[in-house]
Amino acid sequence: MSNGLKLVLFAAQLLTVASAILVALHPNVLYASVSLLFAFLGVAVMFVYAGADFIAGAQVIVYVGGVTILILFAIMLTQWLYKMNLKDVPAKLGIPVVIVGVGLIPALYKVMRELAAFVEKNPAPDLEKFANLPKTGVIGQALLSNYVLPFEAITILLLGALVGAVWLARPR
Amino acid sequence: MNSANFANSLQTWIGIGPLWIWAIVSALAVLFLLALPFGGFATYVERKIAADMQDRVGPNRVGPYGILQFIADAFKMLGKEDFIPLGCDKFLFNLAPVLVVMGACAAFAALPLSKYLIGADVNIGILFILSVTTLIAPGILLGSWSSANKWSLLGGLRAAAQIVSYEIPVALSILPVILISGSLQIGRMVELQGWSWTAEGLKQFHFWNAFHNPFTFISMILLFIGGLAETNRIPFDLPEAESELVSGFNTEFSGMRFGLYALAEFADVFVMCAIVTALYLGGWQIPFLNLDELWVTLPTFLIALIQLTVFLAKTFTLVFVVMWLRWTLPRLRVDQLMGLCWKGLVPIALFNVLGTAAWMWIFKGQSIAQLLYKLVSG
Repeated sequence: MSNGLKLVLFAAQLLTVASAILVALHPNVLYASVSLLFAFLGVAVMFVYAGADFIAGAQVIVYVGGVTILILFAIMLTQWLYKMNLKDVPAKLGIPVVIVGVGLIPALYKVMRELAAFVEKNPAPDLEKFANLPKTGVIGQALLSNYVLPFEAITILLLGALVGAVWLARPR
Repeated sequence: MNSANFANSLQTWIGIGPLWIWAIVSALAVLFLLALPFGGFATYVERKIAADMQDRVGPNRVGPYGILQFIADAFKMLGKEDFIPLGCDKFLFNLAPVLVVMGACAAFAALPLSKYLIGADVNIGILFILSVTTLIAPGILLGSWSSANKWSLLGGLRAAAQIVSYEIPVALSILPVILISGSLQIGRMVELQGWSWTAEGLKQFHFWNAFHNPFTFISMILLFIGGLAETNRIPFDLPEAESELVSGFNTEFSGMRFGLYALAEFADVFVMCAIVTALYLGGWQIPFLNLDELWVTLPTFLIALIQLTVFLAKTFTLVFVVMWLRWTLPRLRVDQLMGLCWKGLVPIALFNVLGTAAWMWIFKGQSIAQLLYKLVSG
């Protein structure tokens, strides 16, 4: 990888980590969701560097175009939400938060260990050679051959979610 | 097909310098030679067309026929006071126009201006354009909220709801082309709509995707309608709706921030029309002619130039239709807008996808033109 490409990757990683920290720590929930948007964009760039350009595109469409918009919508439509501060959260909620946080550490540690082992075993592909390989078609064929059952199961789940949403929003 | 790329060809042509410098240069070139001039010039063209349709003269003071009006406008906007109203959320107010311009201009990188002129013919071409243009919706939403103005907020919420809903029929009307070409790469999609004469007659041709089969023709119209709604143009300009919301999501913006919004809107219109052109109207292809297989060998830059002209001619025709509609149709109501999307466009688009899939299966991927040619030549 050339130095310029490395620089871009480093900038994307910095953007992701910095915005992820902001998401967790910013007192204003609206700003937190805006930095979530940038974290998603940074992750998309990293997907490109991993040679997964289809997933990068899907990441931006689903997370930036869908999830972030939904969060922003919810915040802007509910008046008390965007005036809310993290300091307003009652203190008695603090203990469960700490318990969950500490409990997550071993799980995260295990995931990180396994990821590191995986990366060591499978080094990143050479981007310049990898860029022109037909990956999207391979994903499509895999989805409709080996993984057709999970694929269909997910579509039924999504259909259920759609019907449920219509049922919730029906005129009463 | 190798993926063509501005930066690579610039590097091999000039021969020195690292690739990333040429990548930056080509990005700036796309921005300053295409996106910004078009965005500016379109404001002039729209005013002139409006004037023609209303039997007025229109801008006629700056330059011949007022053609330099947009440059004067740009200087006027740059010279205005950098004003942020009291009570605004300063950071988001500054960020919002940038997000919108980013989304609209990034899409130019993957537009196939000609076979040899394409910023980056990436593997996921059309998906890339769809994904970067989603940045426009959060930009509009944040801008409207941060202005601390009820009309702005209403406009922004309308814009976000509209863009998110109409993304579905737009994506569904792009699917038939993906089915036909078996690729997400825009260069490949345009290539397949071309012609190739060999000694034994026609070897490969689809003609334009719009005439591939009856379903794709309907798909093209749906894509155009969905694109109109995604770019907030009349008859879907509810987010701006002058008569109800002052100026909608950009009410509080002035000076160059407003200029950026206007620029992004026109750049987005261009991108939308260019997508329809590339996917359904043959992109840079000239009917019945293959510039690479003429009896004389043309130099590459001449082919690129001719193809660029053809592509821009098709795209600008569609841009004219967009402007024409603006002075023809009344604005929809909110409930009509959502009804049109969910009860009209989405079912028809789904039907088109199924129809195209069936056509591809029954006729083994041949277009109407190919079937006719077979019938005639026996």
